[in-house]
Amino acid sequence: MIKQDIEILDEISPGTDWKNQDDLLEKHILDSLKIVQLVGALNDEFDISITPVDLVPENFKNAEAVSALVERLSDE
Amino acid sequence: MSYTSYSYLLIFLGTVFIFYTVVPKKFKWAVLLTASYVFYALNSGKLTVFLLLATAAVYFAGILLDCIAYTSALAKKGLEREEKKKLKTLINYQKKAVVVLTLGFIFGILLTIKYSGFFAGIFNRASEFAGLNFVLPEFKFLMPLGISYYTLQAAGYVIDIYRGKYRASHNFGKVALFLSFFPQITEGPIGRFDDLADPLYEGHGFSYDNLTKGLQLTAWGLFKKMVIADRVNLFVSEVFGNHGGYSGSILLAAGALYTLQIYAEFSGCMDIVTGSAQLFGVPLAKNFERPFFFFFLSENWRRWHITLGAWLRDYVFYPVSLSPTCIRTGKFARARLGEHFGSFLPTAFALLITWIGIGFWHGAGIKYLIYGLYYYALMMLGMLLEPLIARGFSALSLRREGRLLNALRILRTSALVIGGMMLFRADSVSVWLEMLKRLFVSFDAGGFAGTVLKCGMDRQDFFIVLLGASAMFIVSLLQEKGIKIRESVAKQRLAVRWAAYAGLIMAIVVFGAYGTGYDAVDFIYGQF
Repeated sequence: MIKQDIEILDEISPGTDWKNQDDLLEKHILDSLKIVQLVGALNDEFDISITPVDLVPENFKNAEAVSALVERLSDE
Repeated sequence: MSYTSYSYLLIFLGTVFIFYTVVPKKFKWAVLLTASYVFYALNSGKLTVFLLLATAAVYFAGILLDCIAYTSALAKKGLEREEKKKLKTLINYQKKAVVVLTLGFIFGILLTIKYSGFFAGIFNRASEFAGLNFVLPEFKFLMPLGISYYTLQAAGYVIDIYRGKYRASHNFGKVALFLSFFPQITEGPIGRFDDLADPLYEGHGFSYDNLTKGLQLTAWGLFKKMVIADRVNLFVSEVFGNHGGYSGSILLAAGALYTLQIYAEFSGCMDIVTGSAQLFGVPLAKNFERPFFFFFLSENWRRWHITLGAWLRDYVFYPVSLSPTCIRTGKFARARLGEHFGSFLPTAFALLITWIGIGFWHGAGIKYLIYGLYYYALMMLGMLLEPLIARGFSALSLRREGRLLNALRILRTSALVIGGMMLFRADSVSVWLEMLKRLFVSFDAGGFAGTVLKCGMDRQDFFIVLLGASAMFIVSLLQEKGIKIRESVAKQRLAVRWAAYAGLIMAIVVFGAYGTGYDAVDFIYGQF
């Protein structure tokens, strides 16, 4: 799933080395506008529903965290 | 009681600190709560009842939400999947009802006190224009201190419990202290319960580190406020008060100095209150991150009044962006208008609501609405034009980086910020437009030197402001490079340390704008 996530992340912010970034928010690689774009794309791609409750730094700090969120919501 | 007054700094803060230090650990929170309500009552008198009402509303709403969640968890046991779904829908409905009613109540108070006169005025003018004989009373209420700040904190508390971020507190004192803590009640920062409640409530023993660092930060804030902001106010008040008599160049200088004033004042106040809170071991949220000399307006805003921006992001922008209507509109627009414009539309709508919120939060008036829309329009323009600009650079084989280009970006962003600040300070939108017009039609650069020293500040005032602002920018630059100033000072020898403290205090005493000939200037952000 992480490969698909990274493809989506690449569309949002091309040229980022997603696997080696551990502080996407602190480095402002993902800002609130990009997070909303990303959430829209993830919801469409995986048929999940990411809500404002899920929009906390822990879920977007790196690509693994985004993948874990998608997996958790896919299982629900 | 202003944060810069002797009565606050020496008497109030000193007394609270002594009591806090000497009482047993389990009563320390009670000292802070009592002090906060004394501070509030001294400033707002009978209007304290509004703070109590908001506190009681969110306290009981939080407990009710907890009870609903608890009973639903019990009821779920042994149910079939379909029945569980039905129960979940019912529970969500109940929880939503509690949140909507509570927010309606606390924002209802804010809207009535702060905005009812403004909206009644608009209604009356529309009614008159339409030839109707229907007039609403335009009430002007006294504003309880910090109502715009504590209402947002209170709303955040209830919404977070609703979202399941944390459980409600069953301790009324803890909620009351979170909403009333005296260093942050006047101008923020707008805190979150999960960050603040425990440090406020647990009680901390005497800490030399907290005491010295808290006092240093408080003194640094006083320096920014009294040496820079209050002195610059002499020029700003004169020029904005008599704008018709000044050329465009002087108006531009007043705009730039007002930008300096509001930054020195607001960030100075944040230093004073953060320093005050540190005396009690309570870390307040960061509200500024050196918001100057940046390439883009969005970066400037990200670093300015951070806690207000974060509040609106979490409780307005995200919910609106992820609402079913916005998502449906986005899909529809992407299918018909292409990926870029299709994704842009719902974001633009959510940002519009957010910026209207930012505008009106600052005050009830058309000027504040336009202030919010000014930044909104500029940012939307930037987002819309981005593909065109990228294509232009690519077609001309130009690099998008480079010193000259970056210098031009900084100049552009600074000009736009100053333009926005001029609107914020001007008496009305028409005054602002008139001032902007003069920037272009009667700039009179030649007459600048002959007039600039006759606008409330003499050569000595300018020199002091220049020194003060330079010190502020050098400190900011060092912080931007990751140097922790207070830690660095603490590592110096005793004599050097005390020389630095004495120098700072002397600078405030000698160069601070107070005494005969100076009016004490209220904190601008304390008026919201």
